Amino acid sequence: MSAISRKHGFTALKMFSAAIAMLLWCTGTYAIPAKPSPERLVNDFAGVFTSAQTATLENTLVAYSDSTSTQIAIVTTTDLEGYQAAEYATRIGLEWQVGSEHFDNGVVILVKPKTGRESGEVFIAVGYGLEGAIPDAIAKNIINNIMIPRFIEDDYYGAVAGACSAIMRLASGEGFEAEEEDDTLAIIIAMVIIIGLTILLIAMAKNGNGTGNSGGRGSGRTIYMGPTMHGGFGGSTFGGSSGGGFGGFGGFGGGSFGGGGAGGRW
Amino acid sequence: MKKGTLIIIVVAVIIGCALWLKGAYNSMVTAEEGVSAAWSQVENVYQRRSDLIPNLVATVKGYAEHESSTLEGVVEARSKATQVTVDPEKLTPEALAKFTEAQGELSNALGRLLLLKENYPDLKANQNFSELQAQLEGTENRIATERMKFNETAKAYNTLIRKFPANIVASMFGFEKKGYFEAAEGAEKAPVVEF
Repeated sequence: MSAISRKHGFTALKMFSAAIAMLLWCTGTYAIPAKPSPERLVNDFAGVFTSAQTATLENTLVAYSDSTSTQIAIVTTTDLEGYQAAEYATRIGLEWQVGSEHFDNGVVILVKPKTGRESGEVFIAVGYGLEGAIPDAIAKNIINNIMIPRFIEDDYYGAVAGACSAIMRLASGEGFEAEEEDDTLAIIIAMVIIIGLTILLIAMAKNGNGTGNSGGRGSGRTIYMGPTMHGGFGGSTFGGSSGGGFGGFGGFGGGSFGGGGAGGRW
Repeated sequence: MKKGTLIIIVVAVIIGCALWLKGAYNSMVTAEEGVSAAWSQVENVYQRRSDLIPNLVATVKGYAEHESSTLEGVVEARSKATQVTVDPEKLTPEALAKFTEAQGELSNALGRLLLLKENYPDLKANQNFSELQAQLEGTENRIATERMKFNETAKAYNTLIRKFPANIVASMFGFEKKGYFEAAEGAEKAPVVEF
């Protein structure tokens, strides 16, 4: 009897270790957390924020992303999977494509909370486009002067929120010479063109509706515009990109990272 | 009539082959350009590190004049590393290994230089020095990132030129396998800059 039960125990152990090995293999393969779905900016995998804090951060960052296109993603994790904090944060930036494709204006704030034995680690990864506005030495300053003192007091929210507001100031170019001017100009021009086109489209659509039966005047034009107008009157082209629900995060934009930024530990 | 169809088929096949050849050749050119671009990024970040060194050496010299051997070691390794350049047309594994070795020696020399701060508290407290250190640390991160990107691009290119039947086109036009950066081991491991 005992032999049998031992045998059973052995099989169970074997299966258990196989499962563990499987799990290890899986986590080894997918070391960097996959892009969250639905996409969001605050990813508290380590569970250091309250839900109210997460919501406040998320709303602030989404609003900032909407108004400036600069995306600041926050990731907390209990395990760096054997990576250096710098590499982990940069890989997240690259794989999630934080920031817009055109400006590469993404920032990833990675926090690994301090646990009993291991020291806490933090890294601010700065996208290519923001390396001028947030040089490494400045990122280091943010970490040493804003974040780490609060981390030591276990104030994770205060540390991250403080860093975010500092980064937002820097990225907006307040008090720093930033090369954003050309960018804003480009955005404004793009907006003007888009709005102009929209007005034109709407006007044409209305025109089309108004003269619906006769359609005499611009028959050539009507034929040309036909498919666009039939295929979902008006906003179909706009709805596509922002259709994530009211006030939600529109999604990561394709930004790239080159390893800029700074880190620290406590 | 039958002869006519045959001719049409032959012509179609020839045109098809030519089109495929064109496509294969062009995609290889694009991929190779991608590798060259990735390589120039790698060179950029190494150059960035190289540019930081004179300032760093000058700052350390102000506090640790007696450590001339360490200081000279860095200057020497830097000039050696600058001499080893790789022709972006010939990114062979050998050329890359040579490049990595020279840069690795510079990394080691820099690591020794940064260790000096432990013996010179004034240096450690120096604002300029700590900023240079942060920049150097950032540059090492950039080097790691660009190396990773280069490897990914080179891998895509190597896969493209080695697959059948594209490999025939590759050998016809002399597209050669690109080297990779080997994973950091001992000698070329970037110095860990602790604060």
